[in-house]
Amino acid sequence: MKKLYLILVFALLASMLLVACQPKATEAPVQEPTKVPEPTEESCSSPDVFCVGLVTDVGEIDDKSFNQSAWGGVQQAADELGAKINYIETKDAKDYGANIDLFAKDGYDVIVTVGFALGEATGMAADQYPDIKFIGVDQFQGEAKPNLSGLIFPEDKSGYMAGALAGMLTKSNVIAAVLGTDLVPPVVAFKEGYEAGAAYVNPDVKIISTYHPGGLDVAFTDPEWGATTAKQAIDNGADVVFGAGGKTGNGALIEVASHDGLYCIGVDTDQWGTVPEAHPCLVSSAMKLITPGVFNLVKMAKDGNFPSGNYIGEFGLAPFHDFDSQISQEIKDKLAQIRQDLLDDKLDTGFPPED
Amino acid sequence: MYDLRTAAPWKYFFRRWKGVFIGGIIIFLVIIFSYIKNSAVTEAVLASAVRQSTPLILGALCGLLGERAAVINIGIEGQMLLAAFVGFLFNVWTGNLFLAVLAGVGMGALLGLLLAFMSVTLKIDQIIGGTVINIIAIGLTGYFYKVGMTTKGKLQPIPLGPLAKIPIIGTVLFNNPPITYAAIVLVFLVHYILFHTRWGLRTRAVGEHPRAADTLGINVYFMRYMNVIAGGAIAGLGGVFLTLEAVGSFERVMTNGRGFVALAVMIFGKWTPLGSWGAALLFGLTSAIQTQLQFGGKVNIPHQFIGMLPYLLTIVVLAGLGGRARPPAADGIPYEKE
Repeated sequence: MKKLYLILVFALLASMLLVACQPKATEAPVQEPTKVPEPTEESCSSPDVFCVGLVTDVGEIDDKSFNQSAWGGVQQAADELGAKINYIETKDAKDYGANIDLFAKDGYDVIVTVGFALGEATGMAADQYPDIKFIGVDQFQGEAKPNLSGLIFPEDKSGYMAGALAGMLTKSNVIAAVLGTDLVPPVVAFKEGYEAGAAYVNPDVKIISTYHPGGLDVAFTDPEWGATTAKQAIDNGADVVFGAGGKTGNGALIEVASHDGLYCIGVDTDQWGTVPEAHPCLVSSAMKLITPGVFNLVKMAKDGNFPSGNYIGEFGLAPFHDFDSQISQEIKDKLAQIRQDLLDDKLDTGFPPED
Repeated sequence: MYDLRTAAPWKYFFRRWKGVFIGGIIIFLVIIFSYIKNSAVTEAVLASAVRQSTPLILGALCGLLGERAAVINIGIEGQMLLAAFVGFLFNVWTGNLFLAVLAGVGMGALLGLLLAFMSVTLKIDQIIGGTVINIIAIGLTGYFYKVGMTTKGKLQPIPLGPLAKIPIIGTVLFNNPPITYAAIVLVFLVHYILFHTRWGLRTRAVGEHPRAADTLGINVYFMRYMNVIAGGAIAGLGGVFLTLEAVGSFERVMTNGRGFVALAVMIFGKWTPLGSWGAALLFGLTSAIQTQLQFGGKVNIPHQFIGMLPYLLTIVVLAGLGGRARPPAADGIPYEKE
């Protein structure tokens, strides 16, 4: 009997190890596999070596979305600038500060933190380590700090283009949006822009949109809810569904793909590459170009012209891929026109709401 | 005191279930009214309710099979998650959905065996045993899941001929993918087995008074093992529902607490399959309604409040209408042979 207890205890410990085990950057590079030499403490603290560390939001580095896109930019820095790179996956929101500290204490030159939720921890770390450059993806900077740059995106404009596309594609005049949570301002911006864009091209369109009812811990990781909600929207007559909310949104895209003749629109990155299951419906994605944004900022940090405050990244629609032939030239021209007008701030996206 | 059990059966039934009964009639009337007003939306909401109730009722059936035999199973969440992952893996490898479902169900049964071994043979605290399963499931799936695995489709709805053409009922109940049908069949099957067969009587005896059952020659350990394993298989079906029928893909910790809600559903349903089914449908319905309210966009209540509805309802029903819910007497107590 005692032996059995031992086996059980061992199994429990082993499972805990599995939970704690983090694949190292050198073992599992995402996207283009690059051979990265193991960064050591001495090498990073020496001024000759340029080290870039990335701290993810709660979630994995290969999340097919945010963390992965930002990591792509860091990997590009490794390829083109010869930076030594590494990442830490955050398992619990309480560890944001501790994870940033790990890189800071190792003498990293640039630390990228991914996600709105890390804003506070990043700001505190920037005060504590004035010699390190911080890049906060999706972190709006109220007051500028010299060594901290917030990479932010005009999600409302990106969503506006998705909405315009949806408004022109719909035949039933009902379009839907399945969203993460309104606790995260960029998600709200996507929604407002989407609705404004659809209404701009098609005043008769009816837009049905839903936020996940849960908190931050589940809102982006609930594909089943996303799928069910997309189905309910389709049953309500929607024929274009915009899925904006991490894996929750991905669930919605995959659900739409199982119905014939409907369109879905992805978010953040070109989801053609990240959610292949959605190919039957995925006409485009409302993109925030995180990868080039992160790369540019890292490059500027290396070149010594690091911008403080907010750095506004690019937006746009992903290529139409297989749907290219189905999208008329008229629609493409209209979208190009809208994009130009958005860049010139000629259109009202309805965000931020005017009070 | 007036003993209900001596009253006429229908009276007894009504007294015991009056809350559910009255609630059911109110919901039924509301559904008819809204169907007359807007049939498409009503059908959309009800179909969504049935779909969202499926993993909950499967989890609850797993929980109540275990607890009827006096084994508390709080590892439902882990059983569902690991089964979902294994089903997904088999779908990726073989592309055969039937095989994938079998593999997931097998995985659930295996975890049931593990739980039974820990709680019946080793007699360790059953809460700890369930927690071990939850931790193992999160660890294993998180470690072995690799992004880029894609499946070749998911289970599609099978309309049941002319039945599917009946208004409301047809579209909601008879036009579903296979696991949803299986869940509905299982509700009645488990009800029949528990309350109308010798096996069910023995199971309940083992859960209420194992010593008495043992004296009568019932193998307490065997009964507990079999029920927990069967429960695990059903939880496994709930898991593969997520990856093979609802979503078609796997994500880490995708069960998102459904295994724990299933336990609430089981208690809400007073440890009976039919009651649990009603409770699961109610959870699904409130969830579908809150989505629909957001679709309408007219109600200006923060959606977090609407999101609380299912849980608020549980408290109200349990405290007020439903009366006391009583678990099996020996629930959670390991049995020592003399």
